[in-house]
Amino acid sequence: MIEILLILLAPIIGGFIYGFERKVRARMQNRQGPPLLQPFYDTFKLLDKQTFIVNPYHSVLGVAHFFTLWAVVAFVILGQNLLYVVFLHLLASIFLILAGFSVKSVYSHVGANRELMAMIAYEPILIMLSVGFFMLNGSFEISAIRQNSPFLLSLFLLFLAFLMVIPIKLKKSPFDATEAHQEIVGGVEVEFSGVFFEFLYMAKWLEYVFVYLLLFLFAGDSVALGLALGVGVFLLVNLVDNSTARVRIDHLIKIVLSVGLTLGVLNLIGLSYV
Amino acid sequence: MFDLKKYRKKSPWILHYNAGSCNGCDIEILAALGPKYDLERFGVVNTGNPKQSDVFLVTGPVTFRSRERLVELYTQMPEPKVVIAFGSCTCTGGVFRDMYNVEDGIDRYIPVDVYVPGCAASPELLIDGVVKALEILERKTKEMEKPFKLFKEATTRDGITNRRNMALKVGEKDEED
Repeated sequence: MIEILLILLAPIIGGFIYGFERKVRARMQNRQGPPLLQPFYDTFKLLDKQTFIVNPYHSVLGVAHFFTLWAVVAFVILGQNLLYVVFLHLLASIFLILAGFSVKSVYSHVGANRELMAMIAYEPILIMLSVGFFMLNGSFEISAIRQNSPFLLSLFLLFLAFLMVIPIKLKKSPFDATEAHQEIVGGVEVEFSGVFFEFLYMAKWLEYVFVYLLLFLFAGDSVALGLALGVGVFLLVNLVDNSTARVRIDHLIKIVLSVGLTLGVLNLIGLSYV
Repeated sequence: MFDLKKYRKKSPWILHYNAGSCNGCDIEILAALGPKYDLERFGVVNTGNPKQSDVFLVTGPVTFRSRERLVELYTQMPEPKVVIAFGSCTCTGGVFRDMYNVEDGIDRYIPVDVYVPGCAASPELLIDGVVKALEILERKTKEMEKPFKLFKEATTRDGITNRRNMALKVGEKDEED
């Protein structure tokens, strides 16, 4: 029962996380920041805006991206197969990339290209993460993972690699070249407007929920450790976001693949000898 | 059913366009978005994208080369939208008025809702201008796109709607008022 409630409320929870994050980021820059409910004000405003439809597939793919992400979050909450969740999340990203390529705008194409490149960087780490959980647990089922003791020490190197994935997924500095506002104007979302942009905006909130739910898996059955991890990583990611500049997309791939992949492989080799 | 209109005031997304400005006004805009004045506490976001913005903030006296981009950006913004002319140049042409490469202000090309004079206009004036623009934004509707000035009401007699002779002659409505 509580699971269904959580699934239905997932976008709203994500909206609160996003609003709180904007507040925290503003406080870190010594600003007052927008109110906590600002993301919801934005969505209500977007409901009332005129909508330009560039082509129907573009808009439908944006909506598909949102609902696939919602399904991903639902499967994580229900405790389904982790590998399946990772690949379904890949499908959601592919919908977005197809939407980016379906319009003529150059910014949209560059954004979709960068999204693909970023996917090359982070997807191996997510797959190795699920393999690591499998080696410790004997099962890909998230419900089984949640019943084990915390994985943080045995998967510590993979945890560090996952820390590099979070800024890419949440579009944060230094790894926000995929979105890059004021440079390619948001990348794939450039041609969305009105109600259809709203779906992309809410998909961003679901991305927050997805990432922090994956982070919770490191804590296993310990809720206290999970909450501590969540708060700690939240502050760390925002601190890094505020204090670093954007790296180029080819540097992003080099950094994440060289450091993240090495950390992940080392961890998996270590696990196989234990 | 709650009123969606009141949320327009709470999340104005700004599109900033430099139509040949000397950068003085642009620096003031960036100062307004910075920590001291912090426009983001009103929900203002500086989107670079016309398709997702509500407030069109123009600086500069509109050089000959930038006039087409100005009109194009204006038409790409979805209704409801407001236009703020920021700085003396944007309002009238300023010190560049009557120069061969300058078009003397944006209101020769697009309708303007708020004029903010000053060379360069200060961040306080920008905040005042945005607040004023939001009052106008709240009154605007999507219906504003319709050419209402050229149409009379349809007449209904015996349950039959008659749409003949709805079009006015140009200027006829103004004479009635």
